[in-house]
Formats: sequence, structure tokens, C-alpha cells
Amino acid sequence: MVNLNKNIIRSILIASYILIIVIIISGISSLFAYLNTGADRSSMLHTKLEKIEQYIPEVTWAPLNNEGRPMDELILKKIENDYLDAWYVKLVAYKKNTTLGIKDYYTDNARENIFAFIELNIKENVTVESTTLNHHPTLEFFSEDGQLAVITDKDVIEYKRVFKDGKLVLETKEKSTYKIIFLLEDGFWRIRHFVKERSESFKSEPNLRVAKHLNIKGINYYPQATPWDMFGAAFLKSTISNDFKIIKDSGLNSIRIFVQYDDFGKADIDKEKLEKLRLTLDAAEENGLKVVVTLFDFYGDYSVLNWTLNMHHAKTIISGLKDHKAIIAWDIKNEPNLDFDSRGKVNVISWLDNMIDLVKSIDPNHAVTIGWSNVQSASILNDKVDFVSFHYYENIEILDLAVENLKKEVGEKPIVLQEFGMSSYNGIWNPFGSSEKDQANYHKKAQEIIAANNLQFMSWTLYDFEIVPKKVVGSLPWRKNAQKRFGFIGVNGAKKAAFKFISH
Amino acid sequence: MQNKYTYISLLALILLSSFTLIQNSEVTPNFTLETSQIEFEAGSPIELKFSTLRKAVPLLYCSSSYGSTLIIPTYKRKILIYKIPYSISSKIGVVNWKLIYEDSLVSGKLQIRPKKEVSSMETYIGPPSIEAGGTDYTMLVVIPTDSLDNPFPENTLVLAKHQFLNSEKNEEIFTKNLISYKNIYSQKESGRILVSSESLGTNSKEFSVTVFPAIPIDFKISAKRPHGYADGNQITTFSTSIIVDKHNNIVSDATYVTFFITNEKGNVLKTSGATINGIATSKMIHPDYETQWSVKAYVDGIAESELIILKYKQVIKDFEVVFSENNRDITVGTLQSFMKQIIPDGLQVNLLIYKNNTLFKTETKTSFEGLVNFNLKPDIYKNDNYTIVVKTAGLEKTFNSRTLW
Repeated sequence: MVNLNKNIIRSILIASYILIIVIIISGISSLFAYLNTGADRSSMLHTKLEKIEQYIPEVTWAPLNNEGRPMDELILKKIENDYLDAWYVKLVAYKKNTTLGIKDYYTDNARENIFAFIELNIKENVTVESTTLNHHPTLEFFSEDGQLAVITDKDVIEYKRVFKDGKLVLETKEKSTYKIIFLLEDGFWRIRHFVKERSESFKSEPNLRVAKHLNIKGINYYPQATPWDMFGAAFLKSTISNDFKIIKDSGLNSIRIFVQYDDFGKADIDKEKLEKLRLTLDAAEENGLKVVVTLFDFYGDYSVLNWTLNMHHAKTIISGLKDHKAIIAWDIKNEPNLDFDSRGKVNVISWLDNMIDLVKSIDPNHAVTIGWSNVQSASILNDKVDFVSFHYYENIEILDLAVENLKKEVGEKPIVLQEFGMSSYNGIWNPFGSSEKDQANYHKKAQEIIAANNLQFMSWTLYDFEIVPKKVVGSLPWRKNAQKRFGFIGVNGAKKAAFKFISH
Repeated sequence: MQNKYTYISLLALILLSSFTLIQNSEVTPNFTLETSQIEFEAGSPIELKFSTLRKAVPLLYCSSSYGSTLIIPTYKRKILIYKIPYSISSKIGVVNWKLIYEDSLVSGKLQIRPKKEVSSMETYIGPPSIEAGGTDYTMLVVIPTDSLDNPFPENTLVLAKHQFLNSEKNEEIFTKNLISYKNIYSQKESGRILVSSESLGTNSKEFSVTVFPAIPIDFKISAKRPHGYADGNQITTFSTSIIVDKHNNIVSDATYVTFFITNEKGNVLKTSGATINGIATSKMIHPDYETQWSVKAYVDGIAESELIILKYKQVIKDFEVVFSENNRDITVGTLQSFMKQIIPDGLQVNLLIYKNNTLFKTETKTSFEGLVNFNLKPDIYKNDNYTIVVKTAGLEKTFNSRTLW
């Protein structure tokens, strides 16, 4: 007995000894492993330079036909980069009245002029928020030793907002022509002389398209499993195609989908996402549906200095897809009027105005609209959009009146009731909410009004959702849960009562 | 009746005049520009005056080449006076302005011209050195600027002046795209071009461009030596002829010339030098045995010389070898040169020791006062029979089966 006890104690001792050793060794080895991580050899020397685009106005070089030394592409690219950087630092300087970065891009004498201006504007408390949208440079001259270049930048479209004592005084768009002399100093193509040769105020043409042929009977679409993340990792063309078939079979002819600004890579478009968007359009075409693509979803910064980035984003997407047969219209932005309070009405509207011009300049064939969140805002920029879109989640009984008033304001333009619907949620967070029957009645009534007023429509939405991301309606549970039950088809896949009234 | 007509015409007059009054007040803009001048000289004070019936003092937006600002007016007897700030009025180009009053459409443009006098000739010249021969050129770029650092408009006359040797030229060029430029070609001669420019009576300072000779053409070499003997002591000096380019300009100093010396055995020696006044020199010590050198010089990849041949005569006809101290002490010499004089110190003597017909060891020593002494130590050279060969100055003597003991 005693022996047995001793043996037990011995084995426990040995076992615990082994255990301690194992722990110590694994501790030391993980410490070693930790010390070996960190600096990746390839990153130690900072050989890879990350360039973040901050300013991408459209630059169109005239064909090279300069005097002096023949130019090569690499140097021209370098001049272009430094030239745009020179603009950018100047725009920032006048926005904030600082001199940061100016000395890198302007020679000793030239920078004095900017410094004098900044001093003046500080004294007068004037700030200028501005950006340039287009440049059309022509290389006029390149010196034999490759140290001096002259360019003429024709028809530079400049957008400016001038503030006095923090208050917006003037908003202006100008078209100017500049002559610029560059000197190569310290590896920078610095501006030596900068002369404005011509300038006139610039007003873009409304450039309206006929939208009479439109006959939108549609629905806002997100896949059931991945709402607000349509082009994520779970993207599957077959799922989308099945849904599109359901939509087509229900008698509808179009869908509205959303391109999220951040999700698609901001200014640097994610090729994969763009491809998924193309596949979605393919699926729509295969099922005989037309698509309204809503751009800039969840984008909320309208600052002037970011305009060129936004434009680059839109340009990449639209020029990639404008010839797709499924496209019927571009919706510039979803419910931009919700940003009026936080971002300033002027900021938002001028941004939209400019973006409409851009979209129309890239895609000459498709109609453009803005998905206003209420009927009161729907007539904003009426002279620029090709058809008017608004969303309606208020009392269905007074929709008639609202449409009547809107028609007076917008005249002949087609009107699309671009989002409407009712949640059938009546759970713990809203025990007195509407039932599926109420929802069906709502849609019945809505379709009656639509038919009576000859409206076009896109309802919200095909499916009930299990998840609603925080960014959509915030994190309050009564909102989230309500948002989950707007669908015509329930979570279980069964058609809800309202499905009967999905169209008229 | 008469009364009636008078009455009617009076009424009509009143009506009409009231109409015209109404129209007048409708047409009268809120602000009328009173300043008619639209072109100004840079730096001159600029004021925009507006007459107005209103009490408002709107801001004036003003944008020039370098930036934009807002101007507050002074109001005096129904006239608004806007003083354009110096930072705008001092720089040339278009200035566009806009009166900011409700939806007022009063806007306009000013043109600011440079001052009449050129104050500095901003000159860039490059490349700073070019090649002689008339094909290479340098470019003179002149930006005439006024005292406020404004470049001049198109078609301003600039004189490009340059002097080279006997030629002095004065050429008219005109500004275009804010600059004027002139290509200045080299001539056949190398040297220095002096360049300056002039515009509207103002002269630039002097600039110079070096015209370097073009690349050298083939040349000749010569060798100079105290005597033709292979004594391993004296030095042969190689020099090139004056190396020139195809226009007979002496190549730039420090043109690098390499001499390749190939001896009879095919071994190559190399020595090099840089030119001064077109001549490169380089030296090589004489061989210590009879041989023949073929020498050729190169300016690498560009030019080469003719081949010259140099013969070196044998100086040592024969030498003595004395064995002593059990054949372990071997004395070579006295080594005598061409006049029987003792050969200068430092001649190399090799001792090759063979054992059973295989090379056992080599000893090398240099001569001192005509003698070389080898001591074969018993620790290394055990008592045995050895074949001993002595080599010096290309000669060889063999002593078979010498017994060391």
C-alpha cells in the first residue's frame, strides 16, 4: 500500500515535471516565434511606395507636337504628376490658408505670389474651396537640356466656393486657360510662371435625354441572404438569376441595385466587384429585366477636394458598363437629401449637379435620376435629371395629393415612385405594428394610386431579411426589425399576402 | 371739344411718362460699372467703380492667375470703389471679377499687361558643354521679365548674342509661349562660346558654353629608353602623338590612354596614362631577359594607335656558379651587364632543385652587388643527390647529381 502510494506520488511528480518542462519550452518557443515575426524582410527597406490618389481630375493631353527636344512618355507623366500635385497643394493652401507643400511645387519666385495671396486672404478672412475637374494640357516646349517645359492647359474647369468669415458667399464654375513654365529643380517639375490667359464662367448644358419611353415597373433588389452586401464573398450569379426570374414572372420589368462607394474601392475601383456587377447585369438581361444602377451608396462626404476622386470612381464604373443592354438608367445617389443637415444643402446639391454632368458626359445614352427620399425634395435639380424619382414611406392615403403637387413642379417629366413599401413587423419592439395583411392592403392601395396617376414604380423590396447591417438604419432594434420585414417574400421563402399586389 | 382733346392728350402724356418712368426703373441695373479701362499695366493701382442707387455694399469676387479673393468696397456718394489688391494687380493675365449681390449678373474681365521695361533676362542655357564639329548644339532659353516677375507677351523681340573665336553673332528671336529660345551650334573648333541676350534695351549677364573636342581619331605612339638592353632596371617611356579629333582639335586633357605590351611569349603587360595637351605618357620597366615587345595604345572603344615593336637585347652573356660547404652553399655570379659592369642590384635569380627528376623546391633571390647566395639547409635538403638548375636573365644552367652531405 505504502509502495503503491509512493509510486503514485512518483508518477505525479514525473508527470508534473514533464508538464512544467513542456510549458516552459512552449513558452520560450512562442517567445522566439514572436521575436521572429514583425518586420517582413521585403518591407524593411521601404522599397514599395504606396501611392494614395488624392486628386484625379481628368487630364487629356493634346498629341505631342512641341518645339525643342522630343518628349518621352515617362517625363511627360512626371510633369503631369507634379503639375497635378501643384494644383492640389494650391487648392489645399487656399482652402485652409496654409502654405504647406507649396514650396515643393513652386519655385522661389512663384511661391511668393501664392504666399501673398494667402496672406491677403487671411487678412480678409477669405477661404476658397475649389477643385479642377478637367485639364487639357498641350506641351508647347521642352528645352534641349530637359530642364524647362512650357505647357498650355486649355479649358480647365474650376469649381470654386468662396467663403467670407466662414460663410459661403459665392459658388462659381469657371473655364480658364493657363500657360505654365516648369523648371526641373531637385527632381520636381516646379512651376516658375503661371499665367491665366482666358477665363469665362462655365455653365454646363442640362443635356436632357428623352425619358418618355421609360416604363419602369420594378422593385428594389437585394439578395435575401446578403442584403447590403450584394457583391461580397457570397456573391452567386445563380441565386441572383433565380431571384430575377421570380421578379420577371411576377410581371415586373426592372430592378434597382446599389453600388456602394467604399465597397467598390472608392477612387480605385475593385475589379472583382465590377465584374460581379457585370454578372448581375448579365443575369438581368438573361431574365429580360432592366436595371437602374444607384451609385455612391453610403457615400457621405461631399467635400470639394474629393470631387475628382468621386468622379474617377463613377467614370470607371460607368465607362465599363454603359454599353450593357440591361442598363436603363443611372441613379446618382440614394436619398442625398438626408445629408442636407449634416453636410450642407449647397454642398450636396452642387456635388449632385456636377456628378450628373459627369455621368451624362461619359454615357450619352442612358437617363439619369436622383433617388430623393421624400416628395418635397424631388423637384431639386429638376432641370438636370431626365426623370424624377422619389421615395415614399409616409401615409399612403395622401400620396395622391403629393404626386399631384409634384407634377405641377416638374412638368412633363416622368415620375418614378422609386421606393415605397410597408413593414409587416409587429413583434416585441412594436407590438402594434402592421401585419402581413396590412402590408398587402398597403400595396394594393399603392398600385391603385400608381395606376391612377400613371406613375412608374419600384417597390421596397423583394425579400424579408434576417440581418440588416448597422449602417442601414442604425442599431435601434425597433428600426432594425421593422426594416427586416419589408419584403414580398418571407424569410422562409413563402410569398406573403402582398405579393399579389407587387404590380398592377 | 377743344377742352376734351387737351384733356385727353394731357392724360395720354401723363400715362406715357409714367410708363417710361416705370420702364426706366426696370432697366436700370442695380450696379453700373463706371470704370471703362480694362487693360492695366502690372503694378499700377486698379480701382473698379460702380454707381448704384442702393445702399448695399456687395463684395467683389476677383480671380487672377494665382488665386481668388473677395474685396470689400468703400462707398462714397453713390459710388462703390473696389481697390484691386496688389497681389492681383501685380501679376499679368486675365482677372475675372463678379459682383456678388443677390443674383446680380454684373461681372467682367481685366487684362493685366507686363510693365514696359524688361528688368531681368531670365536665362537658361543647356547643355553647358557641347561637342565641336557643327552638329551638336546648346539651347538658349530667355524669359524676359519685368520688375514684378512677369513674363512678356508673344512676339517680344529678344536678341540672342553669341561669340566664338572670331565670329560674333546677333540674332533676332521672338517670344512665344512666354519664352524665347535659340539653338546655338558648335563650330569645327573647340573652345568656349560666350552667350548673352538683350530685350527692350536690357541685357543679360554673360553665359559660357564649353565646346569640347569631339572624340579622338587614331594616333601614333613612340617609345623612349636609355638603352636597348633587357637589364630589368631601366625604364621605357611610351608617349602618344598629340591626340586630336577629326577637326584637329586636341582632345580634352585627361583622355585616358591604355598601352598594351605583348612580349614574345604572348604575355600582356598593361600601363596607362592620361593626356595633357593631347599627349599621354606611361612607363614600363625593362624586361630582364632578351625579348621583343609589341606595343599598341587605345582610347578605350574610340581610337587606337599603330603597333610599334621594341627589341631588348640580352645583357648577361654567362654567369658562374660556385658550390661550397658540402655543395650546400651555392653562389651565383658575379653577374655582369653589357659593359661588364656589375649588374645593378635586384636581378632575379631562381634556383630549382630536382630530386629524382621531380621538382622538389624553388628558391628565388635577387642579386646584391652582382652576387646571389643560396644556402640549402640540411633540415629541408636531406643528404642526397639533387639536380640543381640556376635560372637568371633568360639563361639556365643545370648541375646534375650534386650530392649534398
